Amino acid sequence: MPAQAWRRACLDAHAQGGQFGGLFASRRVPGAVQVRALFSTPAGEQLITCEAAERGVDTIVDAIPAAGWDEREAHDLHGIDFAGHEPLRPLLDHQQALEAWTVPTSGQDVHQVAVGPVHAGVIESGHFRFHVVGERILHLDVRLFYKRRGLETAATGRPLEDGIAYAQRMCAACSVANTVAYVHACEAALGCEPDEHVRRGRTILLELERVYNHLNDVSAICAGVGFAPGTMAYAALKERVQRLNHRLTRHRFLFDTVKLGTGSVTLDRDQAAAMRRELATIRHEHDSYWRELRFVTSLQRRLDGVATLSTADAVRLGAVGPVARASGVHRDHRHHSPRLLYHGFAAAVAPTSSGDVAARMNQRALELRQSFDLLDELLCQPAAHGGLQHVRPVSPIGIGRVESPRGETVCVIENDGGRLAALHLRTGSYANWPILAHTMAGELLPDFPLINKSFELCYACADR
Amino acid sequence: MTADRAAAGVIQVLGGILLAPMIPGLTQQIKARLQGRPGPSPLQPYRELRRLWHKSGVSPRPRTVVYELAPSLVTASLLVALVLVPIGARSPDWPVGHDALVLVGLLALSRFAITLAAWDTGGGFGLMGASRDLTFTVPAEGVMLLAVVLVAMPVHSTSLVALSLAATRSGVWGQPAHWAALLGFLLVLLAETGRQPIDNPDTHLELTMVHEGPLLEYAGRELAFLQWASAARHWIMVALATELFLPQPGPFLARLGLLTVALPLWCVLLALTETTQAKMRILQVPLLLGGGAVVCLLGLASWFAGGGV
Repeated sequence: MPAQAWRRACLDAHAQGGQFGGLFASRRVPGAVQVRALFSTPAGEQLITCEAAERGVDTIVDAIPAAGWDEREAHDLHGIDFAGHEPLRPLLDHQQALEAWTVPTSGQDVHQVAVGPVHAGVIESGHFRFHVVGERILHLDVRLFYKRRGLETAATGRPLEDGIAYAQRMCAACSVANTVAYVHACEAALGCEPDEHVRRGRTILLELERVYNHLNDVSAICAGVGFAPGTMAYAALKERVQRLNHRLTRHRFLFDTVKLGTGSVTLDRDQAAAMRRELATIRHEHDSYWRELRFVTSLQRRLDGVATLSTADAVRLGAVGPVARASGVHRDHRHHSPRLLYHGFAAAVAPTSSGDVAARMNQRALELRQSFDLLDELLCQPAAHGGLQHVRPVSPIGIGRVESPRGETVCVIENDGGRLAALHLRTGSYANWPILAHTMAGELLPDFPLINKSFELCYACADR
Repeated sequence: MTADRAAAGVIQVLGGILLAPMIPGLTQQIKARLQGRPGPSPLQPYRELRRLWHKSGVSPRPRTVVYELAPSLVTASLLVALVLVPIGARSPDWPVGHDALVLVGLLALSRFAITLAAWDTGGGFGLMGASRDLTFTVPAEGVMLLAVVLVAMPVHSTSLVALSLAATRSGVWGQPAHWAALLGFLLVLLAETGRQPIDNPDTHLELTMVHEGPLLEYAGRELAFLQWASAARHWIMVALATELFLPQPGPFLARLGLLTVALPLWCVLLALTETTQAKMRILQVPLLLGGGAVVCLLGLASWFAGGGV
């Protein structure tokens, strides 16, 4: 696709209902830069590729705001200009002056409050620059990427099997989702389909990851308002699920559990039954704690109407995951995941999804119920290793999509005869960070920790 | 009688200085138990004071004498405030007297000193905490004054000794005004000690700090003084709550016994409040304190309606 047709093609794909799944650039030979945009429709994935010979293409951010961070990243990494993206603020490049990356604000009593990247707690490195009037936030500029490791570049040139380690080390809390997205992309490129055993094993791991993450999020929201009994109860439940993880895979964060071409979860009938029993007790305790939390007025009053994300904004800005569903968007990639075992799955959206902190917390409970149901069903049968079947010819590009605990994670790989020519991973956190900043406008400064925890996004997933 | 007063004096000074850190320590311990954690020992505040005492100090730049004087001024005003509060309705005749209004003034003075220090260094979080603190303090002081006026009405005096003697009278507990004053005072107690739902003493999250904010720049002994002062605030408030509002027996020793029982009970109450209540939204705190003022005003109205003079 020539550079002149790039914008038209992207906008057409978007207008035809294609959901934006990321914009990536790569530099294959010096002087030539490739820009790619991914759109997904129920019919399949559409990858638009453009050779940007003149070091620039037209922007698509005016029509697809979700591409904002992607374009800024491509500019910082590869020097690509996006004509019409004005001002094109630096995202990864930390060398530039404050004025270059913050939004200018002016007016009576407007001042800035800067927090991080070193925080007063065990929190990852992120710098938040609040433009405030008194306690009220006008605008928030987020600066992440303090611990960017360049994993995507480092993985280039490695055999496809080795790439798993890179995808997995991008983030601990999303390790399964990221690696499953990666192996899906690889298997798509290799023209393979996993059999039922592999699918069962991966689905079990994904749901275990979701359960411990969602339990952690409920605990974190309680901590955000200083409601210690809720924090403690849910931290204990999360710990129990992590111990279950350890029992199943020898790792609390489920590291090294996803393999290319085979499954890794083996459970005989007794082990599966023991896991089901433990999950049932955890579920039972969650249900009773959750009922109690519903009746803590001082807690619930802190959550209602705070940092509301409207359905229209969620769709327009490309929100994903529990955040989007809490705003009433019926979008959950588990609904069409033929490479996993989600028969007849439907996205859980509460009938009264108000898009505020309360809705995001309730969404976690809603999805926990769903995940417990799924796990109960998946563990009814023993799990074995399984394998792949070749169904299609090998292709140079593979795309994998997985619903992680934080939203849709997209992986695109370029296969060069069994080696990685390029790896791109766009996680749910990456999609939602700009939306967190968007919802902060008009909120109170001391409510930020609470709002931040209602999104509970990974820093590592962005600093990949 | 003089022996009683001398004993009261000793408890005022030594108890206030040595036992004060026990109040936040015990509260934390009970809180941890309620949440199913073993928690730190009640002696933890003492260990922290010892640790800070042996650390070297660091001062921010630029700073002036305002910043350097603040810890001494805060400590001094809290030390004087300690002897204003009678123990068992007795107290030696300290030259500063026992006027409740002086106590309110001293607490305000220490806050003023720490606010100026935050202003002096100009640190963002210090100023933010100080400004929030002042936002809460203005209504809190109003409620405290109202509560004092309510209990002072029957005795026609604002001397804390006279007020705490009045709590011995059997009739006091039958009056709505006394209950209203107690309610108002309990809200002030939460605000003064920086406890949930008004402030969260456990959090050091930059954006939510109130009392912690202005202390951020201090280190070493200066911080030790400020932390002791915060514990002394706890001591003064729970001692006052006991002296003025609990039904009191007459004899000195019986009153001392009541104080010994009441202090841990106040800690239980603080721990229970913190465990069952999440922290409030920051802009609703003045409304809560305003509610306390309304209750006190209703108490005042009931006093006049009852024909009290």
